[in-house]
Formats: sequence, C-alpha cells, structure tokens
Amino acid sequence: MASMKQGSIALRPLCQGLRGQQRQPVDRLFQALRLDAPAESRRSLSTVPESTQLGAIRAAPEIDLKSLADLRLVPHARPVPVSPSYFSRQPRFNDSYLTLQSLMRDYGNLPTIPSSQVERIAWKTLVDFRQTIGEQVKASEYVKCIELVKRLHQIHPELKPDVVKQALDAFKREVQSFSNVPNPIPIDRFGRALGVGRRKASTARAWVVEGTGEVQINGKSLADAFGRVHDRESAMWALRATGRIDKYNVWALVEGGGTTGQAEALTLAIAKALMAHEPALKPALRRAGCVTRDPRRVERKKHGHVKARKMPAWVKR
Amino acid sequence: MATPNCLRCLLVRPSVAARLPAARQMITAAAPFSTTANSRAAGGPQQGKGKKAPKPPVKGKQMNLSAFKKKRDVDKSKPPLPGERKAYRKRILLSNNNALPVPGLQDVNAESMLQTSNSGKVLSLPDAVVDQLRAVEAFKPTQCWGVFRKPSMLVRAETVELMQKMQKAADSQQALRLVVTGDRITGKSMLLLQAMTHAYLNDWVVINVPEAQELTTACTEYAPIPNNPTQYMQQNYVLKMIQAIRKANEKLFSRLTTVHQHPDLPQHVPVSSPLLQLANSAKEADGAWAVFHALWQELTTKGYGRPPILFALDGVAHIMKMSDYRSPAFEQIHSFDLALVRLFADCLGGNVQLPNGGAVLASTSRNNSPRTPSLELALLQREAEQNKTEVPKKDPFFRGYDERVDAVLKSVQVLRLDRVSKAEARAVMEYWAASGVLRATVDEATVSEKWTLGGNGVLGEMERAALLTMRL
Repeated sequence: MASMKQGSIALRPLCQGLRGQQRQPVDRLFQALRLDAPAESRRSLSTVPESTQLGAIRAAPEIDLKSLADLRLVPHARPVPVSPSYFSRQPRFNDSYLTLQSLMRDYGNLPTIPSSQVERIAWKTLVDFRQTIGEQVKASEYVKCIELVKRLHQIHPELKPDVVKQALDAFKREVQSFSNVPNPIPIDRFGRALGVGRRKASTARAWVVEGTGEVQINGKSLADAFGRVHDRESAMWALRATGRIDKYNVWALVEGGGTTGQAEALTLAIAKALMAHEPALKPALRRAGCVTRDPRRVERKKHGHVKARKMPAWVKR
Repeated sequence: MATPNCLRCLLVRPSVAARLPAARQMITAAAPFSTTANSRAAGGPQQGKGKKAPKPPVKGKQMNLSAFKKKRDVDKSKPPLPGERKAYRKRILLSNNNALPVPGLQDVNAESMLQTSNSGKVLSLPDAVVDQLRAVEAFKPTQCWGVFRKPSMLVRAETVELMQKMQKAADSQQALRLVVTGDRITGKSMLLLQAMTHAYLNDWVVINVPEAQELTTACTEYAPIPNNPTQYMQQNYVLKMIQAIRKANEKLFSRLTTVHQHPDLPQHVPVSSPLLQLANSAKEADGAWAVFHALWQELTTKGYGRPPILFALDGVAHIMKMSDYRSPAFEQIHSFDLALVRLFADCLGGNVQLPNGGAVLASTSRNNSPRTPSLELALLQREAEQNKTEVPKKDPFFRGYDERVDAVLKSVQVLRLDRVSKAEARAVMEYWAASGVLRATVDEATVSEKWTLGGNGVLGEMERAALLTMRL
C-alpha cells in the first residue's frame, strides 16, 4: 500500500502529462533550464503537433507499472538549473568567467612565455562580446575576464591544454587582423627588391638594388622627373633618413596623380623595398614617416558648397 | 465737407491756439514721431550758443558700410623707370663680400686648363680676364656668381678635353668646329666661358654671340647689304659686338696693324694703322657692318702675327631655322641669310677657314630653345659616328628637315656634356663650404646625397639643391 502510494505520487506528473494537460515532464523542465543547449529546447514553430509531423499516430505503449516502481523520483521534485549562474543577471558571462577561473586554478602554474613573444590575437571587444552572448556585460568585469584570457594565452604553446585553447576560442574575434601578414618582399636573383607605394592618385613601383646612389624614375633622372627640390627630397627620403643614399640604386616607375603624390608614393615604395634588403631599418623608417601609407585623398565636393568646404560668398539680397 | 471750425481759427494765434484742444495742435506742428516723452521728442531744451549741438536721436541699428571698406594703402613711391626692372633681372653680380675668401684658391693661367692634373679642381678667374669676359657678355644672369667672393669655376674632365682640342687646333692652324650639347643646366654655357677664358689667357681674339636668339627673333634692326641684297646685316647688333670685341681685346688690337685697304669704311683707315683704330672707326650703326667685315678680313689674314680666333655662339638652335625676319616681299628669311649668322654657320660648317687656327664653338641651350629637327638629328648622328655606334637615320616621312642646316652640321664634332663625377662634385662642394655658402660638413654622405638629388650629378641641379634652397 505504501509502495502504491509512493508510486502514485511519483506518477502524478506523468499521469497529468498523459491526461493531456499543460504541465511538462520534469526532464523537459530541466532541459528548459539548461544554459548550454539552447538548440534542444528550441520550440517547433509549426502549428501542427509534432506527432503528426512524424507520420502515423501511434498509441502509447502500455504502462509497465513494475518498471515504474523502480523509478526513484523525489517527491516534490523541483527543477534545478544546470548552471549555478542561472539566477544571476549575466549567467553566460558568469559561466565563462568561472570556467576561466577554474582553468586558471588548474593550469596557472604552467610555464609561460614572455608577452612580447606570444602570438598576437585580436580579442573580442566589449561590444562584440556583448553582442555574441546577448548580455549586458560591465566593462570593468570584462576587463578582468580578458586579463584572465590573456594570462591563459601566455601559457607556453606546447604545453597549453586543449581545454584552455577551446575556452579561449570563445574570446577570439571572428576576423583575426594579425594573421593577415603581408607577404615578405623577395629579393630576386639580380639582387632587386620591388616595393610598391601609393599616395593620393599615384602609384609607384621601385626596384631597389645595391649600388652607388643612382636614381632613374620613368627613364629620367631624378632632376628631370621632379622639378621641385622638395619633391626630389621626399622621393629619396627613405634612403636619406637612413643614410643609405649612396648604398642603393633605384629604378622606379610612377604613374597617376601629380608631382607631390608621385614623389610621396615613391617614398613609400622605396621604403618598402629597402626594408626587404634591411628589415632592421623598419623602426628608423617608421620614425622617418616612410612606413605608413597616407590614406588622405581629395575631399569630395558637397552640394551647397563651392568646393569641399568653401561656401559661396554672402550676398545682401 | 465743411470743417467744424473755421480755417482761420487754425492760424497760429496764441490766444486761440491755447484754447484749442491738443488734437488740433498736433495737426499744425510738424509732428515728430516718438515713443519717448513729448518734451524730448519736441527737441528738448534749447542749448546755449557755442555749445555743441546734441546728437540726433538714435534711430536704431544701422549698417555702417564704411566699416567694411578696406582702407587702401596707396603706394606713393614711384614705379620703376622703363627698363629698370629688366636691368635688375639681367644684372650680373660677380662677387659678394659676405662670402668668405677661399684660402689656397689658384687663378687660372694659360696652361692650367690643359693639364689633366687640374681636372676636378676649382680655379678662379684673374681680374683682367673677368673684365674681358664681362665685355663680351660671357657671364649669364642665371649662373650664381653673386654668391661667392671671387668668380671661380670647376675644371672638369670635359673642360680639359675641349681645351686640349682647341690648343691642338690652334697649334696646327686649323679650326676646331664643335657643338657642345647636353642636358639642362649641365654647364654648357659655362664650358663656353671656360673656352673663352682659355682663349683670352692665350691672347686669342674672341668673338662671342651670347644669345643667338637676339639675332634671329627680329628684335634687332636689319637691312639688306647694299651690294648683296640676298643677305641682311644687323647693324646695331654688329656695332655692339665690335665695341665688345674692341674692349675685350684692346691690348691685342693696339699691337696688330692693318694690312689691307678698306675703301668702304666710313672713316679712312690707312694700311698699317692699328686694328684698334679700325675697330674704333665703327662709331655709328651705319658703317658697322663694313667695319666688322674689314676687321674679320684683317683677323683672318694669314701670318702677320694674327692670333687664333675663337668664335662662340650660345643657343645654336635659334640659328638653325627660319628667322622671324621678313624680306621686302614679306617672305621669311632663313637665319643663314643674316650675314653675321651666315659667317658663323660658314665657319662652323668649314666653308670659311680660319687660317691662323682657332675654334668655332656652338652650344645648345635648353632654355627657350626651338625644336630644330635637323640639328637634333645631326647631333645624334655625329655623336654616333664619334662613338662608332649605329648612326640614326633621317625619318623619310618627315618634312621638317632643313638641308642648309644639314650641310652645315655635316662634319662638326659634338661634345656631350655629361654629369659630373662624385670626385668633381666633392671638389665643388668643398669650394662651396669654404666660401661659407654650404653649411654642412662635406663628407661622402653629403656629397652623394646632393649628387643624387641633383639628378645624378647635374651641376646646376646640385647647386639648386644645395645652395639655392633656404635650409637654415
């Protein structure tokens, strides 16, 4: 009798479900509380019942009361969320933070490499992260999280466990800009390095070869190519700033744009080719302003303006 | 409509007016509109005599147009006189007292430009030669003499080469016929100046045409030669030229004497009078061509201690085409029909010999020079012949060639003035630094930098890059 009573209590939710009422089974309820499997709990959007979708309607098998007797369901079962952070405001963030913390506890003692040698990774920004998990994460908290990420990333790559790698993957940006490395400029069998530079509407290709400081631009000498001394200086600026003017010969082709643009396109082209010969010059060239491409172009004209910014003259009437 | 009161009552009669209502009074007085109190609007209390009248009442904000008008600064100074600006532009300064004197700078002498050991050295011009060169306008306003203390020049490899050729020609009593060509500001006119310096130092007679365009661009007077109407003389130019020659070669001309009769001259110059007297007889433009002709005849007489002649002309492209002059039939005159140009062309082409030896030097110019396909082709051809490379051919489909020019340039030599070497560049830059004009230390890096910036050693461009840009 007692067992029967127990059984009836245990069966209550099941029976209620069989009676076709609204209450769902317990595991279903639990499933709904799970954080990490949103796909399973996704509801069908179809208006047709699932059973009809599957095909023929079949009657439920006969209830085997014996087997049910073995079920040890707690009386007054209460669904408990899988994640302890379920009732917090940012369960997913908290979960990942806790994961990182536990990983740190487990693997924090592994040897690390200096931060300068660590592979550069573009981590998600706060905005990105908020969008991915759909929670309003606080900036200060995210900073702490990213600090952990960076510390874990510093673990020696050969010793880094897969768990850590997977955990960190969630924080990587979709597009890794640091993996977009330009191809190194080769030096061909004649000892030439080809650098390409652009400025305004001009494009320059410069072949730089070890030599004595001779320059030819579009088949002309530097003086013929550029009438202004300033332009000549800016064309040769990469070599001049590094004191290499008499160490290399330059043969260049420039097209498009005006004289200033051509001269400054040449600066960039020669600097790139020079870096192929001597990569150690990069900091010096950067200080000389020869490494970065100047992205400025002609500003577009606006309606109501005479030029890009100029306004028509004020008239009384 | 009848008025309620008689009009006469409206006449100002104090007794009546006082009795009239206020509204009626307003009609008679000139009514000032004001929102202020009546008493102020009426003009306020009367001011005493001698006191300033009060300001008229402010009428609200008004635009004061005079505030926007710019006050013109009228320059009361005189404008420069006609020709003054050009004279300023064309003036030639040959020394600058602010520049440092360069220690150890040697003067050029008669032999120094013949010695290969002097190649790549800077030498200065002796004062006597400077005066002579100035007389024949060998200095150009574009050359920067005015930056240094004393006019000095770099003796280049090409200089030595040319001087040796000239000397060889003079020794063998031949004429060196040569065209100097090269890129922009590589020093072509400078090479002519060096040739003239060498000539003066060796007691040659120098006839110089500083700008050939002055002869052919129809900016000087011309007239047909009386007994030879197909040729034209340019009296004014020739007069100026004779005076320049006389001034530059005064000593020499006072030593030499005439050996021919010259019946056509404006003044009678007897035989065996000094050439100076002959040259002096050109007082006016009228007889100038005859005097020049006589002078040329005397100078090209074989023997009698006649010196070699240097006939130099700058900007040769201008005489290798049709001139801007017109014949009486309003047909274009070819430059070779101008007598002076014809003489030069004949000398350059070898039709007129210089029996006492000498040189006929022409130099191309890259400033304001016309396209002359014949000249360009001939220079390339002669150069290729000298270098024993493939000679370029005439374009069979091009009609712009000039046969008369081709004939003249058939056998000239060509000297292409190239860029200076780094050693020469260094010599020049050391001279600049010693003069205090170039402030950088002259080491290999500076030299090669300026050498590169100057288009791989174009001397004029190096000058622009190093001296003429303000970099303080």
